[in-house]
Amino acid sequence: MSTDCQKTTAKAIPSTRRVTVNDADHMPHDYSTTPGGTLFSTTPGGTRIIYDRKFLLACRSSPLARTPPRGLPTIPGVTSPPTKEPDGKTLNGEILNNNSAAAPNSSNAGDDSQFEMDI
Amino acid sequence: MNNKFDALKDDDSGDHDQEQGSPKDNEKEKSEEEDKDQSITKKKMVVPGPGEHPLQYNYTFWYSRRTPGRPASTQSYEQNIKQIGSFASVEQFWRFYSHMIRPGDLTGHSDFHLFKEGIKPMWEDDANKMGGKWIIRLRKGLASRCWENLILAMLGEQFMVGEEICGAVVSVRFQEDIISIWNKTASDQATTARIRDTLRRVLNLPPNTIMEYKTHTDSIKYSLGRLPWAGEC
Repeated sequence: MSTDCQKTTAKAIPSTRRVTVNDADHMPHDYSTTPGGTLFSTTPGGTRIIYDRKFLLACRSSPLARTPPRGLPTIPGVTSPPTKEPDGKTLNGEILNNNSAAAPNSSNAGDDSQFEMDI
Repeated sequence: MNNKFDALKDDDSGDHDQEQGSPKDNEKEKSEEEDKDQSITKKKMVVPGPGEHPLQYNYTFWYSRRTPGRPASTQSYEQNIKQIGSFASVEQFWRFYSHMIRPGDLTGHSDFHLFKEGIKPMWEDDANKMGGKWIIRLRKGLASRCWENLILAMLGEQFMVGEEICGAVVSVRFQEDIISIWNKTASDQATTARIRDTLRRVLNLPPNTIMEYKTHTDSIKYSLGRLPWAGEC
């Protein structure tokens, strides 16, 4: 299954990018940003795998992210696999899970400034 | 770490008889096994599949719900909490997340927990016992979005506090919802301040939002007769 998914040419994370900081003003104003942006895979104090919200959300549409998870326990009202499983009628046919919200969410993320990441 | 995890499985209810399922159970043969989903709930450490984006840590989703009319105790808490699944990559995270209901649509007195693999979402866990949590109370209607932003920040290592983060919880309650993030060392003020500032940024909270830091030892002290895991305890 995993082999035939074309991976979304996943080179989004620039692994080396040099940013020269000559002036204190070039430093980010909060802890979680590195000079030049957040997508740095190496940070002071060691290598950490860092992803910003935008990148994570973009991964959501990858085919690899859309297959159902393995071994998802059936908890009525909590995990509702979208594929029809034996007793999987969602309440009144309503779609309840995060999946259904994906499209509307991402499309209006932009105009809901309250939840924007960078200010 | 693994031992604790395994120990937990043992008192966790149900479906974990297949511990010895295929050892390198990546996300490969998913389609055939998916039907008998209850036979493969628990497995060994997950690893990122080919082409997936690894996370800094593996995480486990948990769900708990208070059984109405039952007295709360640590023991019943441990029995009420269910593992949903563990993941090691961004893509694996989305697979779970997309098949879970949004916290804002949960009913009753329930919680989602997302903790690093091997850390139980309980005060008593070794990783938590010296720790504490930031708590933010939300009016109804905000939980789903705030929870998503919180966990994306955690998974993406936006907090920049080394190994300090243990996990995050969203608690759905009667009149309000609560999100919290747990860290290891409650006495480490540089860390807790940094977590607070990052929370402000990623949740984009209004400046007057009240954020409360609570040590787990205090929570234990004041929780007699109350739910041990609830954000407001």
